[in-house]
Amino acid sequence: MMKEKFARWHVLCLNYFKRDWKKILIWTLGLAAFSGGYIPPFVEISKGQGLIGLYETMRNPAMISMVGPTPITDPSNYTLGAMYSHMMLLFCGLFAMIISALHVTGHTRKEEELGLTEIVRSFQVGRQANSLAVLIETLGINLILALVTTLIMTVLKVESITVTGIVLFSLSLALAGMIGAVVALVMAQIMQTSTGATGSSMAIIGLLYILRGATDVSNQNLSMMNPMGWTYLTFPFTENNSLPIFIGIVFCVVLAIVAFALEGGRDMGAGYLPAIEGKANAKKSLLSVPGLFFRLNRGLIISWLVAFVVLGAAYGSIYGDMQVFLESNEIIKQMFTMTGVTIEESFTSVIMMVMIGMVGILPIAIVNKLYAEEERMHLSQLYATKITRSKLYWTTIVLSVISAIAGIVFAVIGLGGTAIVAMNGESTMTLATFMKAGFNYLPSTLFFVGLSAVVLGYVPKIGKAVYVYLGYSFALNYFGGMINLPEWFSKTAIQSWIPRMPASDFEVMPFVTITLISVAMILIGYTGYIRRDMQEGA
Amino acid sequence: MSEMIRIEGLKKNFGKFTALHDVTFTVKAGEVVGFIGPNGAGKSTTIRTLLGIIKGDGGSAKIFDLDVWKDSLEIHKRISYVPGDVALWGGFTGGEIIDLFMKLHGGGDQAKRDQLIKRFELDPKKKAKTYSKGNRQKVGLIAALSVEADLYILDEPTSGLDPLMEAVFQEEIAKIKKEGKAILLSSHILSEVERLADKVVIIRQGKIVETGTLEELRHLTRSSITLTTEGDVAVMENVKGVHDFSIKDGKAVFYADNESINEILLEATKLGVKKFESVPPTLEDLFMRHYEA
Repeated sequence: MMKEKFARWHVLCLNYFKRDWKKILIWTLGLAAFSGGYIPPFVEISKGQGLIGLYETMRNPAMISMVGPTPITDPSNYTLGAMYSHMMLLFCGLFAMIISALHVTGHTRKEEELGLTEIVRSFQVGRQANSLAVLIETLGINLILALVTTLIMTVLKVESITVTGIVLFSLSLALAGMIGAVVALVMAQIMQTSTGATGSSMAIIGLLYILRGATDVSNQNLSMMNPMGWTYLTFPFTENNSLPIFIGIVFCVVLAIVAFALEGGRDMGAGYLPAIEGKANAKKSLLSVPGLFFRLNRGLIISWLVAFVVLGAAYGSIYGDMQVFLESNEIIKQMFTMTGVTIEESFTSVIMMVMIGMVGILPIAIVNKLYAEEERMHLSQLYATKITRSKLYWTTIVLSVISAIAGIVFAVIGLGGTAIVAMNGESTMTLATFMKAGFNYLPSTLFFVGLSAVVLGYVPKIGKAVYVYLGYSFALNYFGGMINLPEWFSKTAIQSWIPRMPASDFEVMPFVTITLISVAMILIGYTGYIRRDMQEGA
Repeated sequence: MSEMIRIEGLKKNFGKFTALHDVTFTVKAGEVVGFIGPNGAGKSTTIRTLLGIIKGDGGSAKIFDLDVWKDSLEIHKRISYVPGDVALWGGFTGGEIIDLFMKLHGGGDQAKRDQLIKRFELDPKKKAKTYSKGNRQKVGLIAALSVEADLYILDEPTSGLDPLMEAVFQEEIAKIKKEGKAILLSSHILSEVERLADKVVIIRQGKIVETGTLEELRHLTRSSITLTTEGDVAVMENVKGVHDFSIKDGKAVFYADNESINEILLEATKLGVKKFESVPPTLEDLFMRHYEA
């Protein structure tokens, strides 16, 4: 019976390693480099009083809910290793979990949907051989990941990074990956479609992350009940607690058995949850071009706005410990300090530039969406109606600009609101100060709308290049404070033309000029969009 | 009869590649025109040019006597279109998408929509991502057939539909035809075109190689003849207009030029005809002849 179910799984498994080797290479090397390779920069940051300063910052509840807790209670025990596992392990584990989950659904439920499974099953292959093969493959990949991480960290290791800790750190990553894999395998059986399986696995992972954020702050014992907790609560380099790893392994085995039992009991292509029945008629709000475009971008807009608020709140929470944080480290100090302004104001002007730079992603994504829809041929039937290209274009631009403004408002409220609470009335800065500083960067955001618009109108295929410029100008501004760059070089980033408020004063000229340039680019993009060939399935 | 579509010498290049060399044909009111050709011959490119989705590089294309690029909106008010590959937003249900398409086209008939959903046996409550190719095609068709139009442009509308649904589609097209509407039907399925079309346009490598009614096209080619005679049928081989002659079990099988039928019959009667069968060429024969030549 067992033989029948899993016949030839090893043949499939071997093939999968062959098929996926490029992906495995990028996955393991990339994630391992990310997980283990940050030791040298951390050594830089921790010079002088850096560790103590960071310890204070990281004890902030907002930070704990984001990166997890540390078992250290005395700042002098906060070694580089303690900080490394504190700041890195949860995030790297989260990545490992997500990638593994995506891999598993991609090769189980997705292939079932595409009809590949049907072909494979017509050969002398067991009914559940594919799931077993994919699971074993994922286990193999995660073990390779652990091995490579161990190697990288061993090469880079410094005093407080012990071998025991390194092995535990790497195994925690592998465990995180396997938890993601088994969760995804169970959801692949329960849900009706692969998107449902992917979505629900991601939702579970997200929920576990948020839950542990809450319990880490309130009661750490509860985090030990959370599968995601078992990864970082091993506390490598400090407590070196291996118990969570064993709990995690048992959990994975149990969930895998559950998944195989569920799979054994269902037909191919079927799920356990009935597909939710949708509406037979469209709501009125959908039945217009703006309504349609809003619906298409709704998920994108909402998730980015939430991200902006959270990001703002994370930065805002630092304001309480600002003095300690800035004085702890030369590099950070150099980055944030300017003359003649308070540290809070100086910090605000830099962080605002960083945050509004990130807000730029949303309007670019919305403009690029119009081309994505064109290319996927979703609009083919609409081109043949009385809807003008003008309408499609301007609806997109208006939505993009509104989202940009909303993005600034949300980021500012997240940052300013939290900062004002964290500073406890010890500063003269008000929400209006933050709002002005945020909207000061509106032209730079509009500039990205304009740039995307020109690309959409003339060279839509390179829409992603706008992100590259955004990333470039972001990096230039972010690091420009640390290294002295020539004037002309830093001016290649659009934000550099705008004075940083509230540390500097508002200037009308750049504000108006960049806005006008942006409007001009939007108009230029329009002339291209209404004239060019639509590129369907190109 | 007024002309709904008039294309003359239409050209279209994609970079160095010439997709359309010289496309010329017309579609008149009340006419169903079958537009046939293999993959990559330029059918969809022609149709996209007609819709103003892409711009022609030479020649002229007019619908309702209006330029397809400059006056596309005026034209679009009175046409209805189904793309060859209906791509839908996975997150919307079929019903939502049909409503959206109808609303954005304007002038939809809700009762007709509901009736078509029933006829095509589509579940409008399912998300589009769960639809098969055939079901996606149904969504496009229902939306296009539920609105008022004078000209229907259908690009391989039945691809993915099962034979039962194909029959439903053909009935619906027949209804539209009866109402005097014009239809440009691009298709691979020659039997379908044969059944529905008044006129056939064959495109090959971006050029129109044949246009005419099925009757006219048939006339240009040969019928397949089976003949049994009392005398020796072998002499028929040398009659003018007889091709690919062979004898099997005393029966002669050959192709005959349609203009030589009379002489062939005269010769045959001299031998004493016992049995004579003539099968007109199918569209498939016509098609193959153009592509094998």
